[in-house]
Amino acid sequence: MAAESPTSERKGEKRKAEVVVHLRATGDAPILKQAKFKIAGSDKFLKVIEFLRRQLHRDTLFVYVNSAFSPSPDELVIDLYNNFGFDGKLVVNYACSMAWG
Amino acid sequence: MSNLEVWDGTISQKDFYVAARTLVERWKQVNPSLPQWTWIPSKSTLMGSSCKEEGYLSLENMFHIDRNEECLIVDSFSEREETDDVATLVHSTSNETHIYDFHIVYSFSYKVPVLYFHGYQSDGQPLSMDEIENDLPPSSSKILRESKWTYMTLGEHPYVRRPWYTLHPCATSDWMKLLLGGTSMKDLDISSYLLSWLSVVGQAIGLRIPLELQQSSNSSSSRRGATKSPTGTEAVEARSGQ
Repeated sequence: MAAESPTSERKGEKRKAEVVVHLRATGDAPILKQAKFKIAGSDKFLKVIEFLRRQLHRDTLFVYVNSAFSPSPDELVIDLYNNFGFDGKLVVNYACSMAWG
Repeated sequence: MSNLEVWDGTISQKDFYVAARTLVERWKQVNPSLPQWTWIPSKSTLMGSSCKEEGYLSLENMFHIDRNEECLIVDSFSEREETDDVATLVHSTSNETHIYDFHIVYSFSYKVPVLYFHGYQSDGQPLSMDEIENDLPPSSSKILRESKWTYMTLGEHPYVRRPWYTLHPCATSDWMKLLLGGTSMKDLDISSYLLSWLSVVGQAIGLRIPLELQQSSNSSSSRRGATKSPTGTEAVEARSGQ
């Protein structure tokens, strides 16, 4: 169980101080002028969400990574990068329509 | 008929059962010491004929410790304090502990999973909507205030047959379609549907979903043993004593 061989992912895993976040518009969302930016790995994902909210002037956004899940705002950017980063960056998708009812 | 069409974000009842099994297994791998999702087969024949694929998922006894903290889970009291005096235990439970049960039910009308939940105090008394609202993450209480009737309401649990709170499913297929990214039916890994779905729903209700749960399809073998997540994981002190 504990005897796991280091996977390629583990090797590439770095404690980077900064993470490059690539913001990708999906659905009806407008494209940002600056789609890539650097953020401290120790920041919470909330910071990315808030940045998008400010840029798009929208309160409710749908933000997700890896076309698979929507990270909790409490998640650390570095953890997301280490697990789902690719090509030296973390791709974050966003869409405006996030309705419930 | 829709094999080549772009997927519409819905799921069939059969696939719901498949996805449910994946969630049960993944949750167990990632959180072996926590309360488990379990599949409850339907006893009544809701749709006329009963089969093993008919039923719902259940996660019970989630302890909500404090506002702004997510649901922490305590497996059993005896494991936490094995030798210490009982008084501490009593103290911690009498302190307004809120306990939540979560069920994931398949909606035949919307063809998506629907979350039902109810909360109660440690003495068994059900929580009021106000108390529940206080337990929700701030973003959710805000939506709740703004759209009272289209977000979270009291509705009859189709299996338990009692009023439980539920998250409205009308838009679920829309955001699931976005989330799983315009994939065509044949590329879609429907078994991870509930993992993705739960990452969104968990945020709405303040149920913490470990990051590891999402790693299933991409890197199934890699467990982040060495990378200790600074978020949350150490907050859950439940141990597997068995």
